[in-house]
Amino acid sequence: MSKVLLIEPDRVLARVFKTALETSGNRVSVMTSAQAAIFEADEFQPDLIILELQLVAHSGIEFLYELRSYPEWQSIPLIIHTIVPFNEFQRSWQLLQNELGVVSYLYKPQTTLAELKKQVQLYSAVTT
Amino acid sequence: MASERDSSVTVLSQQLLLGVAEELKLPLMQIARQVELAGLNTDARRQLQTIAQTALTLVDNYILGVRLTLDPQQFPLETVSISSVLYDAEQRLDSFAQNYGVDLELSLSGRYGPVISNRFGLQTALVSLGAALIEAMPAVQGTKQLKLQLAMHRSRYGLVAGIYTDTKQLSEAALRHGRRLQGHSRQPLNELNHLHGAGIFVADTILKAMNLHLFVSRHHRLYGLGTVLEPSSQLTLI
Repeated sequence: MSKVLLIEPDRVLARVFKTALETSGNRVSVMTSAQAAIFEADEFQPDLIILELQLVAHSGIEFLYELRSYPEWQSIPLIIHTIVPFNEFQRSWQLLQNELGVVSYLYKPQTTLAELKKQVQLYSAVTT
Repeated sequence: MASERDSSVTVLSQQLLLGVAEELKLPLMQIARQVELAGLNTDARRQLQTIAQTALTLVDNYILGVRLTLDPQQFPLETVSISSVLYDAEQRLDSFAQNYGVDLELSLSGRYGPVISNRFGLQTALVSLGAALIEAMPAVQGTKQLKLQLAMHRSRYGLVAGIYTDTKQLSEAALRHGRRLQGHSRQPLNELNHLHGAGIFVADTILKAMNLHLFVSRHHRLYGLGTVLEPSSQLTLI
């Protein structure tokens, strides 16, 4: 069983993703903001993080920098699951992958729950 | 002069359409994922219906905003009771609010006379504003029990009708900044909404076309957005 920290600002979608991931045997904690997610990471000790880039007040990238500034959280794999199309941050992709530990990018409007579950299984298997 | 007006309407229309298109992704995505998840039990069916209805309302409100801007005369002035407009707006927002775990309240204490406005335009603006705030609130406040109040009060400028909550919403400067960024930024109201916040701009456009103004307002100890309406002294006498 993997512990997944899901950072999703929309409450309806968060409920759907949480249910889907829990039915495939994961423990899921949902946070709607970057600040709450930092506190929760400390409490929950996730094996994997799923992050929406477009949050309120802070961007997901800010969260990512803060998360990786703590040594104990530098190796947790992180999946970007966002409404922002890839071409809008394509130039930063190398940096996100190599420096900030992003393992995968999923474009939310075109990612089915089955695909999301597959990715979670894949990357949580790497860490556990 | 006419062509200047036409071109500003076109730009506004495109900006709003872009925002609405961005916002529409969310309800459509919610429908697609709910369908995939649900196997369609009763609760999921109710939620899907509400989400689809919200998408339709969003498009309808956008159309009204553009039509009002093109021709403000098509929504003539009439006698409007604000209490009944707020009540109807609350009814239309109720199931959407339930989907987001938000409690809607009406605060109509006091006696307020009628105002001269357009009932349909006013109600549409309030529904549009309310839907945007409901969608935005959980992202700001996390898992806390959320409450949104549709309320009116008297101020020295007139009757203020608006939508309020107990956490600080936008500042007047952030709203002004958002208006400038609208159409140019993916997230013009970054402090409030994780999406485009098109509902707020649609409400803003509709109110503007009715010679009203959306502004940051307080109601007792609550924060929110509202508009000032002038009471009709003449009608009060009747």
